[in-house]
Amino acid sequence: MADDIRALSAALARDPSSLQYVELAEQLRRRGKMQEAVQVAMYGLGRHPEHADGYDCLARIHADRGELTEARAAWERALAIAPEHGGALRGIGFLFYRQGDAKRAVDALVRAVAADPADEAARRALAVLRGEPVPEPSPALYPEGDTRRKTPADVPQLRATAAALRALEAELAPLPPPPVIPPAPAAAAPPGARAPVFAGLEGATADMLLLDARGLVLAGGLRAADGSDASELAAAALAGVSGEAERTAGYLKVGEWTAIVAEAESANVVLAPVGEGALLMVRREKSTPVGLALRIAERARGAAARWLEEQR
Amino acid sequence: MSDVFQHSLDRISRVRGVQGSMFVAAEDGLAVAQLLMAGVSGKVLAAFAASLARKASGAAAATGAGKVRFVQMQAAGGVLLVALGGELLVAVVADAGVNVGLARLEMIRAVDAAAAL
Repeated sequence: MADDIRALSAALARDPSSLQYVELAEQLRRRGKMQEAVQVAMYGLGRHPEHADGYDCLARIHADRGELTEARAAWERALAIAPEHGGALRGIGFLFYRQGDAKRAVDALVRAVAADPADEAARRALAVLRGEPVPEPSPALYPEGDTRRKTPADVPQLRATAAALRALEAELAPLPPPPVIPPAPAAAAPPGARAPVFAGLEGATADMLLLDARGLVLAGGLRAADGSDASELAAAALAGVSGEAERTAGYLKVGEWTAIVAEAESANVVLAPVGEGALLMVRREKSTPVGLALRIAERARGAAARWLEEQR
Repeated sequence: MSDVFQHSLDRISRVRGVQGSMFVAAEDGLAVAQLLMAGVSGKVLAAFAASLARKASGAAAATGAGKVRFVQMQAAGGVLLVALGGELLVAVVADAGVNVGLARLEMIRAVDAAAAL
């Protein structure tokens, strides 16, 4: 392995923009050289700030160091870049479990398995959490004629989570059976089928989204540039914003937060709390003045608040 | 370099209602230079400005809005403004009635000046 590190270091020195920084950081992590691993990962991410694999690697390093807040932030960043990143979904699933949030742990692991059906660690962890029989590793992991049981050391995709899985199984063993988790809902309703909360407002089903505190869509919709429905993914990514804003407002002693405006390259995004943990997102083209976007968001917030009141 | 930071912070602080402004390392949320009124915690402002900028950037990316340049968080008793540049960001905490447009112009000028160093 030392040779691997030397070779990777040399390769990175020859080509500093190489994506091999991820493999080098991973090798250092496995050797327990955490500080060097962080430095390599941060160096690479400095050059490739939108590289989801880099954030996934950085998160694993933080997780190994017990820095769970930092690990979660790095995995969330990876998922913001690549919402179906299997490694990040699996990692954050384990984090949710360690924080006692079994529901979100299951949600994340379900998505991890969907993203990578060959991810044995995620499948096994999911089975443990659901109280189902733990599946045997897939035959695909055993080449014909190879009767030796594969270990995490043999299978890269198992290494990162094997220790966490063992810890998870050990923790669950003495506990009573977990509560029955209701089956996943059928495919999410398309924007047009959701409650017409924003009817009459421009972008009612393409640029306005109402979500609850768990990151689940309540109403509205968000269309991606290719016209596909991006509501569910956006809602999941937006779920933590309210908490962050509340903490920020509390520490800065500026009272309750009322809106966040993010001015970005191609659009302005307004986020506003609606009550009961619900969050409103309004997206407007860059050409729309920020002040006007705020006024539109205020109208949408009024409509959302009235609708939520009716649902009581 | 510090003259550039101080000059930029001086200009921002002339905007009526600004209680404090600072340059913050985007990656770790540590203060680089600051000009704060009494009672404003630089460490808190730096840490939360960087954290909020990351969160808002992630949220904007998820909505397909692209790279975030400026974030404002409005609250009942004040506003937090963050201008994002390269490795540094500029954070401002101000009264609720601050002229956000003017502060924004000065903040974006500040991050551009820092990026040019």
